[in-house]
Amino acid sequence: MTEPPSHPPAPPGPEGSSPIPAGPPPLLPPPVPGRAPLRLSPKVLLIQPVRMIPSLLLPLVGLLFVGGFSGKSYLWAAVGVGVTFAIAVVRWAIFSYEIVSDRLEIKRSLISRSVRTIPLERVRGVDVSTPPMHRLLGLAVLKIDTGASGDAEEGKLDGVTLEEAERLKSVLLRRTRAARAAAHSATASGETISPSASDGASPSVTAAGPAAPPRASGVAAEADREIISVPWTWLLYGPLSGAYLLTPFALAGGAVGLAFQWGDDLGFGRDAALTVGEWLWEHPYLLLAVVLLLVVAMPVVGGVMYAVFNWNFRLTSRDRYLVAERGLINRRSVSLEARRVRGYEIVEGLAERWAGVARVWAIVTGLGDTQTRGQLLPDVPRAVAFKVTGEAIGSYRAELRPHPPIARNRRLFRAIAPWLLPAAATALTALLTAEAAWWIAAVVALLLAGTGIPLGLDRYRSLGHGYDGVRLAVRSGSLRRSQAVVERRAVVGWHLRQTWFQRRAGVYTLTAGVGAGKGGYSAIDVSQSQAIGFPAEVTPEWLAPFMEKGK
Amino acid sequence: MSPKAVRLWLAEALFGFVLLVGCSILVARWVGGSGWSWVPGWFADDPWLLPVVLGVLTTPFLIAEPFVRYAVHRWELSGDVVYTRSGFLTREWVFVPVSRIQTVDKAQGWVERLLGLATLEIRTASHAGSSTIKGLDYEVAAGLAEELARRAEELRDDAT
Repeated sequence: MTEPPSHPPAPPGPEGSSPIPAGPPPLLPPPVPGRAPLRLSPKVLLIQPVRMIPSLLLPLVGLLFVGGFSGKSYLWAAVGVGVTFAIAVVRWAIFSYEIVSDRLEIKRSLISRSVRTIPLERVRGVDVSTPPMHRLLGLAVLKIDTGASGDAEEGKLDGVTLEEAERLKSVLLRRTRAARAAAHSATASGETISPSASDGASPSVTAAGPAAPPRASGVAAEADREIISVPWTWLLYGPLSGAYLLTPFALAGGAVGLAFQWGDDLGFGRDAALTVGEWLWEHPYLLLAVVLLLVVAMPVVGGVMYAVFNWNFRLTSRDRYLVAERGLINRRSVSLEARRVRGYEIVEGLAERWAGVARVWAIVTGLGDTQTRGQLLPDVPRAVAFKVTGEAIGSYRAELRPHPPIARNRRLFRAIAPWLLPAAATALTALLTAEAAWWIAAVVALLLAGTGIPLGLDRYRSLGHGYDGVRLAVRSGSLRRSQAVVERRAVVGWHLRQTWFQRRAGVYTLTAGVGAGKGGYSAIDVSQSQAIGFPAEVTPEWLAPFMEKGK
Repeated sequence: MSPKAVRLWLAEALFGFVLLVGCSILVARWVGGSGWSWVPGWFADDPWLLPVVLGVLTTPFLIAEPFVRYAVHRWELSGDVVYTRSGFLTREWVFVPVSRIQTVDKAQGWVERLLGLATLEIRTASHAGSSTIKGLDYEVAAGLAEELARRAEELRDDAT
């Protein structure tokens, strides 16, 4: 094999706004003429070793303690650091990317060679995030969403400078549009998309929009338009969302695990940790206090985490993309192609409904990692949520139709029965054994069954479905009520299901298959006329052949 | 559906039945012979009761399932919409418009090969909008797959 182990760093070519200083220059054959592959920022070299430090630290500490402070252990430690750094250098050196006419090529070439080619017209969104280390060094991770299933199919550039990320983002998204426009209409002649260096180098976010050239396809280029900037006071709603509530427990668990692991390595051994555990076990009040402390810390820590992740949430409409930016430490910017947005899902927990706030996710076709990328709004007042989604995607204008009363009985039964059964069982055992503990268990189970009554009633109240001519909506749930609103054209099929119990009650579960988001959104326990009528109303042309024959 | 599908479902049900009873025999021997204190005396004495009871309870289902399924399962292609009905205890109806079909697969397990049957899997961008037709005659399945693929190509629409 005469393959060059790496390409030398890129000279500032036509794409060349990249502020890459000459890295460690490998003495190698000259680059292929006419090509200017770009490297990640060499600063990323600092990140990889630092990231490896935790895994390196333990053997290192062990070495220092066990081997004493001899020169040898230092040597080993130095070798460890050196090897990780060398690996990072090699990884950096063999990785290059470039935009060649209408595609992005990501190359890894050492002895074997892998080239990932992403046609720009396939780019559906760009996700830029800055984890803490990257943030410190002024770097970013750029992920390119191609709508392919599986993470392996995505393009990922880990460690480009912030300016380069902005430049790439605007180039990728704009070229994507241009490629499509050229593909869809031949009128795109005379349109030149030049990745101007001044555009790319601008660190300001807002500079990218106005610089966009007017579209020949008749779509007026849109400047950055801020849809909403969530004020910091609304971050106080965070604890209501129930997100990150378990963080204190996770932290405590992690600390205990670490103590065990390190205890072994540092010499005081597992026994010491076990003795501490036993001692705690013998002082249950202390243990209880610790648990109580953790419980009290739940909303506080959860709220802080929420605030850190959703800090300064901004939703902007830029050049036919919806851009959501958020985060205090890891500033994340996700661009969603508006054309691919098929609807939205409004989610409210019980506490959130009490406070009148809601969260919103976008339903996007071919979007991987929907839970983090698809988030359109953090907790905001309901009215704002509806207004913003209406503005950004389109509002749903119709009443939700209630489901038949038999659905209420089913909701009630399903909320109560799971607790009634153990209540009966424990009560029976209590009668037989006459032990107080069983009575307590029975009473607790009965109380839980009692809470099932309002829960079941509320679940029934949540049920609903509707259609306003453009979008259909389904809603369900009580502890986590979610309403999905989906465009009619996104529906790819209907799935009707009836369990044996539902057959007895004469109700169905109707699922609209949607090629986006979760894949299907269900209307639970609809009556027979609704089960047939709703699909026939939304997509009359599909159901017509079957309507006359009857089911 | 092909009438031979009854045999397919019977074979599948039998396989499940044998598995269930076999596992219950193992569990019964294990628990019965363990001498654990929580095992009631009558069970420890006659551990073979478990597989027998299970077998008696599931036999009616074993016999009924193939015939019920044969009565329930239907498919139809009309007006460029594929309609399927399936189920035994839980009934399912699926409507898939041909214009939204992405792939059409036909598959044959070894039992199906013996019987000359095939399963047709019609996939769309959504799992809820995808449907599976089991127990078709192989020629019917092949013909339908061919036709669906051709029509889907003609009607292709890129909304999703």
